[in-house]
Amino acid sequence: MIAVRNIRLCTKDCLCLFVCPTGATNTDNGQIDPDRCLAACRACVDACPSGAISKVPLNYPPQQPKLPGTLQAMNQLLDSRLAQERAADAMLAQAQTAIQRQFAQAMKMSLRVVAEDVLRESGYMLPQGQPARAFLNSLLDSPQPAGFPREAVERLLALLG
Amino acid sequence: MAAEHTVRGLPRGKEGSLSVYICTVCGYDYDEAAGDPRHGIPPGTRWEDVPADWVCPVCGADKSMFENQGGKAETPAPAPMAAPAGQAAPQQGADAKRLSATASNLARAVQKQHRAGMADLFTQLADFFDGQSSPAGDWQTAADLLKEDLAGRYPAAFAAARADGDRGALRALNWGEKVGKIQANLLKRYNKEGDAAFEGSAFFVCEACGFIFVGEQAPEICPVCKVPRFKFARVGRGASA
Repeated sequence: MIAVRNIRLCTKDCLCLFVCPTGATNTDNGQIDPDRCLAACRACVDACPSGAISKVPLNYPPQQPKLPGTLQAMNQLLDSRLAQERAADAMLAQAQTAIQRQFAQAMKMSLRVVAEDVLRESGYMLPQGQPARAFLNSLLDSPQPAGFPREAVERLLALLG
Repeated sequence: MAAEHTVRGLPRGKEGSLSVYICTVCGYDYDEAAGDPRHGIPPGTRWEDVPADWVCPVCGADKSMFENQGGKAETPAPAPMAAPAGQAAPQQGADAKRLSATASNLARAVQKQHRAGMADLFTQLADFFDGQSSPAGDWQTAADLLKEDLAGRYPAAFAAARADGDRGALRALNWGEKVGKIQANLLKRYNKEGDAAFEGSAFFVCEACGFIFVGEQAPEICPVCKVPRFKFARVGRGASA
């Protein structure tokens, strides 16, 4: 477990600085230093008067299983939503006015959020879960176009443990 | 509700009882008795007399997205279409998009877990595959697919998730369908009026559910998923992501 600070809630009462036994809370980027934070300590979480600090785990439990019927239906939806995103890409590339560009950009962003949500509920909620690992491994096991960031994928698999 | 048609044998009119129409995107009630005076609709205005270009004052959905409170839609709903079983949307060149969205979804997840280093790596992967996917189609393509989604793919997915007791999928489908209705509305308006439809407005996209708001300022809370205003991304004039 590591302590994390929600900077939107932080009211700079600085009690986390007073109580931290390792100085992990005292940083210049607003985030708590995960390398110094002690796994079993929650002194800052309890001391913070604005509830801006929480402890998040590094390991997560297995995800809820997904059944084939739902997966198949979600998959068809995903294909369609992503085809719409490709249409938005085309409209963005051809845009001639500021409004055309903004509309295409808004649609593209919106469609991506919807597609991500479908994927999240199709087994890819947790990066630590089996489907996410299988996704990364399959990228390494199949031929990829030039410029494929292989090191990034290898590093992700190492970090996911 | 049948009573309102037969009050003293009169046709629906001034003497009939007044009805309430509900926005299927955000749940706003249009009460005929109250009207929408802030937007020029006086109290007592019948639904059929509300101008066709009136939109939901909360989320911007048009009249076709409203249902009578009794569940009887005044504007006929699209006939339920059989799910396009096994017939997926255009596949060619779609693989890179799918890989990109899988990676960008995982980037968001590790961001939420406060693993910034991993978020950068997943984003790098998502950007790479986005660059590999080819743009294809136009707004008509998108509108046609979306229409099929709302008539067929969403209902089919709702049925599958209900049969499987998958609450998470039902939640995602609920948000996605509502956002789809707004997207369809915006495409329709744009198709009809062109740039004039959005003159003088800005676009705000909810980063949690994808809801698009067109106006001067993002709503205080998202009408679809209820996150606060700061979760909306404003699409700037330069319109880079």
